[in-house]
Amino acid sequence: MNGMVISLQQVCCIAGGRSLLDVGTLNICHGERIAIVGHNGAGKSTLLRLLTGFMPAAHGRVDVLAHDLSGSPSPRELRALRREVGQIHQGLHLVGRLSALENVLIGSLGRVTGWRSWVRHFPADEVSAAEAALHDVGLLARATTRADKLSGGERQKIAIARLLVQRPKLILADEPTAALDPAAAGEVCHLLAQAASHATLVTIVHNPSLLPLLADRVIGLKSGRIAFDLPLSAVDDQKLTNLYRPDETVPAVPWQLPDSPRRSAFS
Amino acid sequence: MSVHALTNHFVNRFSGRLGFLGLTLIYALLVAACLGTLARDDELSLGRNPLANLVKTAGEFAHPSFLDLWFGNPNLQYKSDDGTVLRVENRQEVEADYLAGLGRATWTTIRIATLGSLLGALLALPLAVLTARNLAAPKPLAWLAKGVLDVARSIHTLVFGLVLVGIVGLGPTAGILAIGLHSMGTYGKLFAEAIESLDMAAIDAVRSVGATPDQVFFNAVWPSVLPQFVSSHLYVWEFNIRDSTILGLIGAGGLGLLITEATSLFQWGRLSTVLIVIALMVSAFDAVSRRIRQALS
Repeated sequence: MNGMVISLQQVCCIAGGRSLLDVGTLNICHGERIAIVGHNGAGKSTLLRLLTGFMPAAHGRVDVLAHDLSGSPSPRELRALRREVGQIHQGLHLVGRLSALENVLIGSLGRVTGWRSWVRHFPADEVSAAEAALHDVGLLARATTRADKLSGGERQKIAIARLLVQRPKLILADEPTAALDPAAAGEVCHLLAQAASHATLVTIVHNPSLLPLLADRVIGLKSGRIAFDLPLSAVDDQKLTNLYRPDETVPAVPWQLPDSPRRSAFS
Repeated sequence: MSVHALTNHFVNRFSGRLGFLGLTLIYALLVAACLGTLARDDELSLGRNPLANLVKTAGEFAHPSFLDLWFGNPNLQYKSDDGTVLRVENRQEVEADYLAGLGRATWTTIRIATLGSLLGALLALPLAVLTARNLAAPKPLAWLAKGVLDVARSIHTLVFGLVLVGIVGLGPTAGILAIGLHSMGTYGKLFAEAIESLDMAAIDAVRSVGATPDQVFFNAVWPSVLPQFVSSHLYVWEFNIRDSTILGLIGAGGLGLLITEATSLFQWGRLSTVLIVIALMVSAFDAVSRRIRQALS
């Protein structure tokens, strides 16, 4: 397991009686830049949710940052893992009613505990780290602006600043540029790659032109299975076209959001 | 067939233009039935002399009693038939006393509304958490909580008040409890809606950095629902200020007591003063609460 960040063996994810993901073996080492490509419903988001314990594996072995996620890991174990994993979502996951700076400081919640984290009274060194992170993404001037008043590009940059404060060992990004115009998309990818300079980066990418910015290894998913796993240099248009073409032998999975188990505040 | 399926069936049946026409027709029939039956029973009469009565009442209303503070006769003499002076009254002093009493009654009404609203909000909070669909509380508990809220909402404050006066006796306590129990139903519904409109993405954002449940609550749930809670609280509080003026009618104290007094003694001038005070109080509270609610959104 030396240097291994992610290790999957014979993993299967099932929701609503349907197999969403079926992976034989997948190993990702420290410092790798991985892009995941594939059609809608291919299991890309399911894979990322699996890696952070938001989606349980029906069977198989899942190891992420030396945390064993097979079976049902305890909430404590999941929280310990999530502190080390930085996530960027396609849905611009920020707390709209908090300021940009407070959203960035959420990245430090793993280190700040107790009443201080309840009233958002963060230690001075965390605040200066957050301001430095905002400076790095070029949004220090917007620190006191409420997150729901920011543009889509600004919000993704705030999410990246949150990553910088969180200092994760592994970064998972689910289509970080989905809602952005090309210029903003390039900028966000650039910042993301910078943020991941000491970490492992796994990104779901839809736009092939962004692959060189974010990846040195490309994994193609098709109907929940790994179709190819190649270095970036070996990926060409033909392979991508094949990946996105509907397969006649396997019935295409109709596009659908993976059903997540119903959240209960009481269990 | 479940209730849900039944409503669905009903809605499908009545959607579309023809359906809407049918519903309009049913509504028109209902209105006609209400009017027709009342007319048949001769219950639609306006009394013997409505116009003269209206003019008389309006005239008395147009002279609110507080004007006596300045224009009242300082030396009003009550005489017997043979001309002996029975009693001398300073109308200005009498009115000043009345206004002082009115001030105290207003303060009682505000106290009843404020404490009753707070009580209702506190009682409703756990029930709202149980009924909010997205929190997926255990089914039996959710139904129980919803049942309690529905019953509380469907029983009028006045009815609660009448029952409570019998239990805790006359006075503001009965009013506070009555306001609290009835508005609990309203609060529960509003709070549950606030929780249901929670931005789950924000919650996931905080969960995904490994935050503990208490951190998720204080950093994602609380900031999202607090403004809506405060806004609902102001709204219901405002409503209760109006509602509690009526509670004096059943002996719960406050302005309602003065209303009963004035109406049973046919002192329309005094009633007019009381109503002016109520209108001023309600619109002042309205304006403040609207400002605060706007600032919160």
